[in-house]
Amino acid sequence: MESKLTKALADLKMGIARWRIWFMMAYQDIQLRYRRSVLGPFWLTLSMAITIYTMGFLYGKLFHMDLEVYYPYLAGGMLTWGLIASVITDSADAFIDAGPVMQQIKMPITLYVHRILLRNFLIFLHNVVVIIPILLIFHAHAKLNLNILLLPLGLLLIYIFGFIYGLIIAIFCARFRDISQIVKSLIQVIFFVTPIMWMPQSLPEHYHTLLYLNPFYSLIQLVRSPLTGFTPSLWAYEITIALILIGSTFALWLFSTYRSRIIYWI
Amino acid sequence: MAHIHLDSVSVEFPVYDSHARSLKNNVVRFTTGGRLMQDANKHVLVKALDNLSLDIEHGDRIALVGHNGAGKSTFLKLIAGIYEPSLGSIKVDGAVSPMLNLMQGIEAEFTGLENIMIRGTMLGLPKAKIKEKIAEIIDFSELEAYIHMPVRTYSAGMMVRLAFSIATSIHPEILLIDEVFGAGDTKFMEKAHVKMTSLLDQASIVIFASHADDLVKEFCNKAILLQNGQLIKIGPVAQILKHYHLLNQ
Repeated sequence: MESKLTKALADLKMGIARWRIWFMMAYQDIQLRYRRSVLGPFWLTLSMAITIYTMGFLYGKLFHMDLEVYYPYLAGGMLTWGLIASVITDSADAFIDAGPVMQQIKMPITLYVHRILLRNFLIFLHNVVVIIPILLIFHAHAKLNLNILLLPLGLLLIYIFGFIYGLIIAIFCARFRDISQIVKSLIQVIFFVTPIMWMPQSLPEHYHTLLYLNPFYSLIQLVRSPLTGFTPSLWAYEITIALILIGSTFALWLFSTYRSRIIYWI
Repeated sequence: MAHIHLDSVSVEFPVYDSHARSLKNNVVRFTTGGRLMQDANKHVLVKALDNLSLDIEHGDRIALVGHNGAGKSTFLKLIAGIYEPSLGSIKVDGAVSPMLNLMQGIEAEFTGLENIMIRGTMLGLPKAKIKEKIAEIIDFSELEAYIHMPVRTYSAGMMVRLAFSIATSIHPEILLIDEVFGAGDTKFMEKAHVKMTSLLDQASIVIFASHADDLVKEFCNKAILLQNGQLIKIGPVAQILKHYHLLNQ
């Protein structure tokens, strides 16, 4: 009799090996949403552009910020946040939405988490072009430079982080349907308490420790900084990697214990 | 050699529904359906399969017979690996091709052709292999130009033809069938019948859940009678069907 851990690891391995399936599913998800529309997935880009361009102007003026500094900062932050937030909220429904398929064909369960991640990374790639005009116009402070080479690393770390915590959230939400609602309201709050619209410098010095306690601050930096020409702080990497290590231990325990039960919950 | 081995397998479903908890009795028996009971946390548990032990060998064509909710579909899903036993162990040697619900996984917004690609990918076929099969599927479904149209424009019969053609384009080793007959018009039914026969001939093990006696008699050489999730009897088709009908009276 195979142990629960062996089966969980086999599922993780098969989940990666069957990449063709989740590539197709992720692509299909995006296609399905924009079928019969002329712009297709570029509607995502357009709405992101409108949000960022208007918000940048409004909040730049409200906070009396130098637009040269604020516009790239906000754009980088919003793009990264859009990715992280949608990965988390979509993970809540990862298994619930896949229910009908899961009842028909036996596939590795982690495949449905990869599908959520890839879908949102594809959307991010559509959205990211929004920052180009900003970097062209407001280039006194932020510019495209060699730091962009750190972008793939940042995205990779977010993928791993998103996979681990996405799996945890997906399992909990499949079992306790209220958690999905809690996650969705929490994510709104996190948006406001994370430096995305506002800059850490605006916060009084003695609150800065709190800032480091917010893991989303680290995550955002990993992508926002390279996008706008800065190097992410070392601690942002350290915190992210620490969270990945802690999360993966818990996720592995949770997944090996409850993997075979998930199908009965959906 | 395909082989299936079940050793005292039970499958239990927890039902997380607030009002279901008001069930006063610990065990309630119904003539249809699995037995209901409560677990330690007062969740209602449906015992869908109860302590099943059996071996299924190469060449077996097994009919699953029983009331609605006797555990036939659960049994098929167990073999397909979708459900894992809550007690006992199961060993399946051989590639399983489940045909549980034909219409499932057919995406209405996509064209027939795209649906073929989707289904093929999900079954783990490489792209080249799917492309090989496409002509065969289109030909069998008789959809012709409609194959390039979104499935939502299809009539019910056309949809069934597409689903059936996709589902039967496989070369099965262990074939699981859950009441898939009754597809399309009379002419297509005849064709489907022939196709099913050839599919069943190719498979080394067939497990077939059905209420249609004539189909069971035609296709199967063994039958299993399930009731309330328990294996009541296993044996030759004629004998089991007789037993089942006596039980019904």
